[in-house]
Order: sequence, then structure tokens, then C-alpha cells
Amino acid sequence: MFRQLRARFGGPLAMAIVTLLGIWLIVMVTLPQLQMIEYSLRPNLLPAQIGGPDDRLTLANYATLFNNDIHRTIFFKTIWSSVLVTLLTLAVSYPLAWYLAKVATPRQAALCILLLIIPFWINEILRTYSWFIILAFRGPLNEVLMMLGLIDRPIRFLSGNGGVMVGMVYAYILFMVFPVYNAIESLDDNQVRAARDLGAGTVRTHRRIVIPHAKPGIATGCIMTFMLAAGSYAVPALLGSPGSRWFTQIIYNWFFEGGNWNQGAAYAFLLLVLCIGFMSLIMKVFKVGLGDIGK
Amino acid sequence: MDGSVRLDEVVMRFGDFTAIEKTSLAIGSGEFFSFLGPSGCGKTTLLNIVSGFLVPSEGQVYIGDEPMAGVPVNRRPTAMIFQNLALFPLMTVFENIEFGLEVRGVDKRKRREVSERLLALVALEGSGPKMVTELSGGQKQRVAIARALAVEPRVLLLDEPLSALDLKLRQHMRTELKAIQRKTGITFIYITHDQGEALNMSDRVAVMSAGRIQQVADPMTLYRQPATGFVAAFVGENNRLQARVIDCEGERVRLDGGALGELAGRASGSARLSNGEAAVLFVRPEHLRPVEPQASGPKLEGEIEAVHFEGAWVMLETRLVASGEKLRVQLGHELSRSQANTLSVGQRLVFGFDPADAVVLPDDGSPVVDEETGEVVEGRPAAAGGAHV
Repeated sequence: MFRQLRARFGGPLAMAIVTLLGIWLIVMVTLPQLQMIEYSLRPNLLPAQIGGPDDRLTLANYATLFNNDIHRTIFFKTIWSSVLVTLLTLAVSYPLAWYLAKVATPRQAALCILLLIIPFWINEILRTYSWFIILAFRGPLNEVLMMLGLIDRPIRFLSGNGGVMVGMVYAYILFMVFPVYNAIESLDDNQVRAARDLGAGTVRTHRRIVIPHAKPGIATGCIMTFMLAAGSYAVPALLGSPGSRWFTQIIYNWFFEGGNWNQGAAYAFLLLVLCIGFMSLIMKVFKVGLGDIGK
Repeated sequence: MDGSVRLDEVVMRFGDFTAIEKTSLAIGSGEFFSFLGPSGCGKTTLLNIVSGFLVPSEGQVYIGDEPMAGVPVNRRPTAMIFQNLALFPLMTVFENIEFGLEVRGVDKRKRREVSERLLALVALEGSGPKMVTELSGGQKQRVAIARALAVEPRVLLLDEPLSALDLKLRQHMRTELKAIQRKTGITFIYITHDQGEALNMSDRVAVMSAGRIQQVADPMTLYRQPATGFVAAFVGENNRLQARVIDCEGERVRLDGGALGELAGRASGSARLSNGEAAVLFVRPEHLRPVEPQASGPKLEGEIEAVHFEGAWVMLETRLVASGEKLRVQLGHELSRSQANTLSVGQRLVFGFDPADAVVLPDDGSPVVDEETGEVVEGRPAAAGGAHV
């Protein structure tokens, strides 16, 4: 990389770029993470006790999760719900990506992509609030459904998981649509035509030809969506009910309400390990390598 | 198994553009039928109409006398071999060939039997477990043929399938395609811009230009009796000389070639030639030979501009002394060794031809088309022997 930069910008500038990049990675990314690991391995002590006999390395913070039934339940519920969000997002995005890549004219596709992107010019919190309004007990969605006579009395969309699911699918749809779209777009039209010509119907053509080809894109989309969903804070905080607490909220509570950074850091690392594990699993299931995802 | 194909007044329009003018055509069951034409002439569109990828704006397609309107691609008794083959790269050779059978719910053992048999037919025994990406160009070609034959189509549609192969392999595959067609008895509809392929393999050829079929005939007739100027110029090589009809006597036509003097040829095509009408005389390079200046019959004097030695023959590029038009002359066995050594640029020679070999057609202003690229290389010659007034 350095050689290419030097060829392009000359020695001093290339050196400056690489140094800045190095500082950024070490000071802004690596060191804080290491500090967090350090935190997570120490007990939460009063300032006076720091450096004293109680200040030693321990795995007690990690053990907390497994001893606390509620936290453990929320931890696994977060995983399960994130998987659901990922699958829902895929189900919504795949037909959309197919339409954009193979059915729509270039004009229609451009318009559609623009319409998808515009809402993302707005802050995530605001977007999530707008769903809060739409899904509210006396909100417009209930009003419309009642006006159409589809329901007799308003539905509580925001109790339970429904609101969180809707909000997350909406928040992360682009992270799924674009990788899948890119993958499908690179498929030769004649592959689809050949499958049709040999007698395959729509479902089989997708199952045997399109999906295998788009697998790296689907894996990328699933990994991104899952990571974002599992690490999401705003959506469950705003659209969730007490019954649909997210693990990130627990982490937040440890940090900012419990004032126990050590415990929070341990929880955060457990979530990170979980996400990496899930990513590896997905890559194994889909038989894709890290190189495929970079494409 | 009736594999006949009939187009009944088929028209294809894309917006304002008419890709296929009203076309009716009957292709017999078991026939090797080719559509020959430059790129953009509408031949691929016609193929897509037969296969069902396109629905004609007007008219109807019949396969084995069954109307195909409303029958989707995956239910038609046709199979297509794509220009880029479109083999499934993530599947093995077996899986590729068996795909169509898998779709039809044929059980695994039966499928394997069929694919083994087809691999033997295309001389690829033992390649079944390989991935298609491991195969060479010629082998991929064979797999594509086997995959299409596996669904037992009544009509096999081939969209320039040999165009990606190198010359030697292409010539070899021609022979093989023809042999497979004879063995299976399936109707082959073959699309190509390569006249060599069309003439070599086909029972009949339809020459197409600008969305219109110019002529449908067996290869020999196309070559000997072109119906239009386009066919004469596109099929084989032809010199084009502008002239004016003096009179007709049966097939034989006397022509006034302007500066070129009196010429003669044989009337071709269905249009009647009337005296005094502008006409084009087509003389093939291989029908021209050097003659004594005093010899009888039509004569053309040309100055050699280039000599191309091709081994079996010599191609001369000459310019007519009288009119400045180009004249290509192919000299073969009639050229003695001593003559071959004396041919040089700037030399003037007189060429004669048998009027029975030269074809006269009304001047329809059809442009000359490059046989390889299918592009128009020459419009109407400007100063054409005084034929233009």
C-alpha cells in the first residue's frame, strides 16, 4: 500500500498519510478497545480502593451475565430477535434487489434507489421517532385501519416486539438491499433465460440459479444487518416496550445508570464475541470467505 | 414428434422501431434451417419470438401446428443454445445437463442415464463430475448442446453458438453439429452472420436484412440465384457493376456498362427487367479469369493495386481502367506458375467471364455489406459506368 501511495503522492506525503492512518487506528480504535478489555477484567471499586489489595484481575464481571437470569434471557432474546430482524430484512430486500437489478429499467431503478436513500438523509433517531408516531396507539396507522373498517379498536403496535421489528427492518434495509442488489446485478441475464428455457419456473430459477450466485451478497447483507441489529440502541429504546428490552440497553444501564463501567465493558465484550461468532457461523453456512464479502 | 415451425404474419415492434416486418415462413420438421444476416437485421429477435422470450406484436408462431400464443418459455417444446452458452458455472457438467430433467421431476437414476448417453453423443465421456469452469471452449460448447438436448426439444434454437470459438474448432464443430442434427432428427434453427456456417450446414437458409427476409432457399440456390442485390452482395463475394439493360433474351441480359462497354449476364430473382432500366451486374471474383484482349465476350480491364497470395489461390485487388471502380479477381488453378510470378502492382490485365456465371438484378440501391462484421462498407458507387443520370 505504501509503495502505491508513494508512487502517487511522493515520499513525504505518503509517509504523512500512513502515519495519520496509523495514529487513527491505534489511538482512536485499538487503545480504547484495549482499555475496555482492561476495565472489564477489574472489579468496580471506589476511587480510594484503586491500586489497593482488591484491585486485581478477575472474570467476575463476565460471570455476572450467567448468574443473572434476567440478563441472560435478554442476551439470548437479543440474539434471537436480531436473527429474526435479519431474516425479515432479507425477505423484504431480496425481491426489491431483484426488481432493481433485473426487472426495472435503469430510470426506474435510479428513481427507486433515490427514494430508498432520501429517508436516510435524516437522523436515525428522528426516523425512529416517526415510526413511533405512525405506530402509536392513537397514531395514523390505527386511524387508517379503523377508517377502512379493518379493525374495531386500535392495536397496541408498540407493546411487544412488533414495533422494534418494524423499526429495525426499516433502519437497516439499505445494508441488505445494496449488497444483494450488487450480487444479483452481476448475474448474466442469459443464466436466468437459460434456466427458464430449460423449463424452470420462477421459484426454481431463484433457488438454483439466482440465490447461489447472490450468496456472497446475501451473506454480507445478513452479517451487516445482524451486527447492526444486535448493537442497536435507539430503535429498541424508542419503539420497544419493557417486554422487549435489548441487551444494549442493559449495557447502557451499567455504564450510565449503574455507573459500573467494568461490568458494562464485560457485557459489551460478550456481545462483540457473540457477533463475531455469528458472523463466522453465517460465513460457514453460506460457504463464503472474507474475500468474497469484500467484493 | 412434429418439430415443424410456422411463422404466420409475425410482426415485432419496439416502440416506433419495427424490428421484424410482416414475416411468414414454414420450417419443416427435422430441417436444419439458418437465419443469415448482418447484426441488427432482426434474426435474434425472430429466434426469441420462437423460443418465447419475446411476444410478437402481431401474428402467431406455431410449433408442430400448435399455436404458441400464451405458452411461456418454460413450457415450449424448444431449447436454446445461447451465444455465450450460459452454462451454470456453479454446477458440474452432470448437474448442468440434468437441470432440465430435474425441473421435470425425473428421478436421479434416470437423469444420470440420460446425461451419460448425451455425454457420449457429444464425445465427452467421463467429464460429468467436472465443474463447467474447468472445461475448454470446445468442451463447454458440447456441454451446452447436451444440456439443450436433454429436455428432448422438438426444436433446437442456436444463437451464433460457434462465434466464440477459434477458426479450427469452429470448422470442426460445424461438422459435429450437422452430424448431431442428422442423428437426432431434431429441427435446428440456427442464427448466424457467418455465411460459411450457414451455407455449410443448412438445408435451407433465410437471408435477412433490416427486419425483412430477403430470400429463403437452399445454399446452392442462394449462391447461384440470389433474389435481391442484398443477397448477391452478402452471400459469397461479389463485384458490383452498375449498368443499364439493353435487352433480354430468355435469361440472358445484354447490358450497357457505360464506360465499360457492353456487358452481359444472367437474369436472377423474380423481378422483371425492362429495357433501359438501371441494373446491377454481379460478377464473383472466382468467375473472372485473364483473357486475351481480342477474345470475344464481355471484358474488363483492370490495373492491379494489390496481390494477396492465399495459398490455394491468389486474390487480386484491381481498379477498372475505364470507370475507376474496384474489381476483385480470384485466380486459382487456371493460373500458371509463371504467371503467378509476374503479377505485380500497376500491371494491367484484361479479365473475361462467362455471362452465365454473372447475375443481373434490378438496381435496388442495396448497400454492400461486409461479410465478417455485417457493417455497411460501401454505399452506392458514385460514378458507376454512366448508369446514374
